[in-house]
Amino acid sequence: MKETSKKTKIVAFLIAIIVIAGIIVTLTIGLRFDLRYQTAKRIELYLQKEFNIEDIKKITDETIPNQEVIIQKVEVYEDSVSILSNDITEEQKSNLINKINEKYGVALSADNVEITTVPHTRGRDIIRPYVIPFIIATVIILVYMAIRYHRLGIIKTIIKTILTLIVTQALLLSIIAIIRIPIGRFTIPMVLAVYVLTLIGITSSFEKKLKDSIEKE
Amino acid sequence: MKKVKIVTIILAIIAITMVALLGVYIPVQNRMENKVKKYSYAMDIEGSRTIRLRVNTGTTTTIKDAEGKVVEDTEELTDEQLAEKGYVKEVIPYNSDDVKNVENYRASQKIIEKRLEKLGVDNYIIKLDEENGDILIELTENDATDKIISNLNTTGKYEIVDSETKEVLLDNSYIKSAAVMYGSSNSTSNAGTQVYLDIEFNEEGAKKLEEITNTYVKKEEDNSADETTDETTNETTDETTAEADSTEEKEEEKTITMNIDDEEIMTTSFDEPIKTGGLQLSVGTASTDAKTLQDYITRASSMATVLDVGKMPVKYDLDENEFVFSDIEHNEIQIAKYVALGIVAVALIVLIIKYKSTGILAAFSYVGFLSILILILRYANVVLSLEGLFGIGVVLVLNYILVNQLLKKEKIGTTYKEFFIKMIPIIILVITFCFIKWTPISSFGMVMFWGIALIAAYNSIVTNSLLKIKEGRENRNERN
Repeated sequence: MKETSKKTKIVAFLIAIIVIAGIIVTLTIGLRFDLRYQTAKRIELYLQKEFNIEDIKKITDETIPNQEVIIQKVEVYEDSVSILSNDITEEQKSNLINKINEKYGVALSADNVEITTVPHTRGRDIIRPYVIPFIIATVIILVYMAIRYHRLGIIKTIIKTILTLIVTQALLLSIIAIIRIPIGRFTIPMVLAVYVLTLIGITSSFEKKLKDSIEKE
Repeated sequence: MKKVKIVTIILAIIAITMVALLGVYIPVQNRMENKVKKYSYAMDIEGSRTIRLRVNTGTTTTIKDAEGKVVEDTEELTDEQLAEKGYVKEVIPYNSDDVKNVENYRASQKIIEKRLEKLGVDNYIIKLDEENGDILIELTENDATDKIISNLNTTGKYEIVDSETKEVLLDNSYIKSAAVMYGSSNSTSNAGTQVYLDIEFNEEGAKKLEEITNTYVKKEEDNSADETTDETTNETTDETTAEADSTEEKEEEKTITMNIDDEEIMTTSFDEPIKTGGLQLSVGTASTDAKTLQDYITRASSMATVLDVGKMPVKYDLDENEFVFSDIEHNEIQIAKYVALGIVAVALIVLIIKYKSTGILAAFSYVGFLSILILILRYANVVLSLEGLFGIGVVLVLNYILVNQLLKKEKIGTTYKEFFIKMIPIIILVITFCFIKWTPISSFGMVMFWGIALIAAYNSIVTNSLLKIKEGRENRNERN
């Protein structure tokens, strides 16, 4: 019993360290956002023919070096390309267009291609649609937990469930912050997966305790 | 006999797996076409309609007389002629410098968000460039996209003006809400369902409306006017009715003009004062044709949405409007699919090593489960977003856990009971998510819903049968 308690303490200590480190990183350096959520520059080129994204990637690697780039096909004929990067200078644009002209035999003019700014997405806008569904689901789950595990103490069950859900999510977000995983399209699916797995963990633990409690009686 | 049953089930699983993974090809006009339904993808995987709304930089020119009243029909007059008549030309920008600020840009963004929500858009991304006010919106591409877009760059400016003097009598600030209503028309000439745009005014607006309807009341009761229209449109008559009035009456009668975004919607007068604080404007004519009615409803809904949400402080123009493919290419999804299949294969090999021949049967059963799941997701029209794909992963893990437990020498009934009791919170989560109108969430919910339902049904039928046949009915029954 003492050993388990020691193990639990070590785990709790490690979790606390990771969460605190995550908070410090978030407050000092901030979270790292995926390029599609950052303010970026974008140019769109009409190539007049189908193209391979890998070929465009090679050109952007040469002309916009050391920068993250997102290349997307535009419109149903897939004959236009959108290039998104943290920054695109006029010089980079000209070089890029020259290379594209060479590769695809088109005569694009740098003067006719505009560099547009793509504004960033606010973090709160990313999470906003998920807040209410999560709250609704969590409240219903808490009600269920309170009824199902009332033998273990209603308040205790509710607090334990809430704390576990918060701690696991905080742990995930701290790990994301510490190891600089960009906040992007995979963040919410990860949060969902961790939420589901945590629920399984909590329920398994409560079920075991409930079984023990019934057996004791 | 035992072997035959097992072989039959395994052959059925192989057949389903081939259909799910490879498809069913039949010749159609000299080419082979896969008849198995395709997946529906959300915009994060498929791509999105991307639009850019730019702050309007245009101007409007108004001609005013010496008294400051707006003068109409002056397009053909030269500057000299205008000066001779004492008219003054005013060039007014749609967006003055005072209007172009961050607060107004943010307010416009909020209004667009509200409009998108009211229009039932279930997935979008909106970004605001606070420096120049540009708003970028990414929307799911479908049949409704163009109609939705047409509601986004309208300012939503609503005005009731004096038809003659152009004095603004009522505007957006007096509107409480706007909605679409239906009613049956009893008119003998035009029977059917009539669609109305119902505008409710606030307290102050209601008083104003009463004053207006007192002032702009018909001078003489016109018996030829359509009685039904009088009754159902809350004492308003439309342009057509007004045309039926005598020319003499028209000259005497004061009329109002209703404008939305400076575009004239109707010119009318009122039969009697409106004291209810609400205006019901008929949209189109009464009809029994479902398609026509749907069109009227769509038009009325668009107007109601724009009016209900309020007026945008900044006038925007639609600048970019194009479909941009996702940067997650389908071959990347294929790679992810093969990686996932690789993980499943390793997990199944572990089962086989652990449980030998029973493990082989469980592995076949697991493959069958996966195949049926991906077929169900296609035929149940589940829209797959990245969250949905993660949902498939979670379902596969859950099924693996159950199969693993079933293979242990425990009572099957107890195993099921324990497993699904632990699943109840997840089922609550999944059902809640299924009802959320936000594609990434509902996608996860729907995938998990079908997944959990299939785990329950499939394992109790297929996995259980295979294991029972393998171990012999009697032994299994003992376990039960």
